Amino acid sequence: MSVVDKLGLVNENQYLALYMPATGSALVFRVVSRVNKGFEVFDYGLLPISAGASLSTYAGTTTSAPAAGTLAPYSYTGDIQFPPVAGFDNVFDKSDIWHLSVDNRDRLFHVKVFVHPPIIRVDVRIPTGVTQTKFQAGRVVVGVGSATGFSRGFIETVHIPGIIYGYRFGNDTNLSLPVYIRFVYGEYIVEIPKNPELIFSILTRRAPSYWLTLPITVMDPGIQSAFRDVYGLSEPWGFKLYREDEKDRAIREYTNIIKGLKV
Amino acid sequence: MVRWLFTVNGCATPTGSTGDFTSLTSPHVIGSFSYIRLPKGFKAKVWAKRLVGTAGFMLVINYTTDVTVSQPSWSAVDSEYLASAGSLEIEKRRPVVIPFRTGIEAIKLSYSNATANSNICIDVDIEVTDEDE
Repeated sequence: MSVVDKLGLVNENQYLALYMPATGSALVFRVVSRVNKGFEVFDYGLLPISAGASLSTYAGTTTSAPAAGTLAPYSYTGDIQFPPVAGFDNVFDKSDIWHLSVDNRDRLFHVKVFVHPPIIRVDVRIPTGVTQTKFQAGRVVVGVGSATGFSRGFIETVHIPGIIYGYRFGNDTNLSLPVYIRFVYGEYIVEIPKNPELIFSILTRRAPSYWLTLPITVMDPGIQSAFRDVYGLSEPWGFKLYREDEKDRAIREYTNIIKGLKV
Repeated sequence: MVRWLFTVNGCATPTGSTGDFTSLTSPHVIGSFSYIRLPKGFKAKVWAKRLVGTAGFMLVINYTTDVTVSQPSWSAVDSEYLASAGSLEIEKRRPVVIPFRTGIEAIKLSYSNATANSNICIDVDIEVTDEDE
């Protein structure tokens, strides 16, 4: 049984490791169940920006969106959340379908964002407004408004309850491009494994897991607060990575962390 | 890796024998445009062309290394000729590949040998990619 299915989503009873460069630690989850198995594709539609919305430009000025969901030439957005589409009125946060309450601590959204046209730049900020993509020990802040720090046409992340993520999109062509969004997502019911040996095996890559690096290079207070409220974590905000020869130390530390977990 | 195929449409009623399609459109683009400028690292691959017009009408794909100057210097990189009035569809097995190395290059679509006051139209299928092949 492979860890992921053909869509790249984690199969039931497989493990997901979310690594955070800021702390050198990872969150480890077992996917207990996938709520939306078989209907993972969500054609969201145009980017949620209205005609006339203010956009930043690569020249350092501002411009307006020429039409709903459209990026003007050489422009990029600020942080965007995805408001509910028709019929989604009961979502927890009326401005963001991926924002889960801290009480939904056994849930994760694994979201793959496909952007059309694929030349569009995209990045994600966790939490919204906090730039996490940096260059050369933080000397340079990068992202959709910079020469690097973004991907084109696709981005993948996992939404942790209690944290609002901010997606940004950029168009560095001379064309006014309507931007279409398709999500492929998994709504997972998860638990954090309680066996420190297993966690050590996953983090030393001896046990298979789906490994995703969250773009968290700064442990923002908003992330710390969510990790504390949702999972009962404190520093180092997850399971630190250790060398194989540091197993005893790792097991001791993991055992202590597991005692305080809420999931 | 990015691969994006889109169609550019243009029509004109020339007053002289040469000129540019200055009001290009595409279902993928809002509004009209007179040239295409892509980010550095990308290539434009011209896969197919459709021409409609009078005998002698020639579609010319022009390229400049710097579209930001007041009078860009354009050079032809590809052309297609309509031998008789009507329409012509050309699909390339090997595309015309146009590099964007600095991000200030551009391509535009022009016509020559057009009959004044005749209607000419083109559709050009362009793939935008950052892949080498």
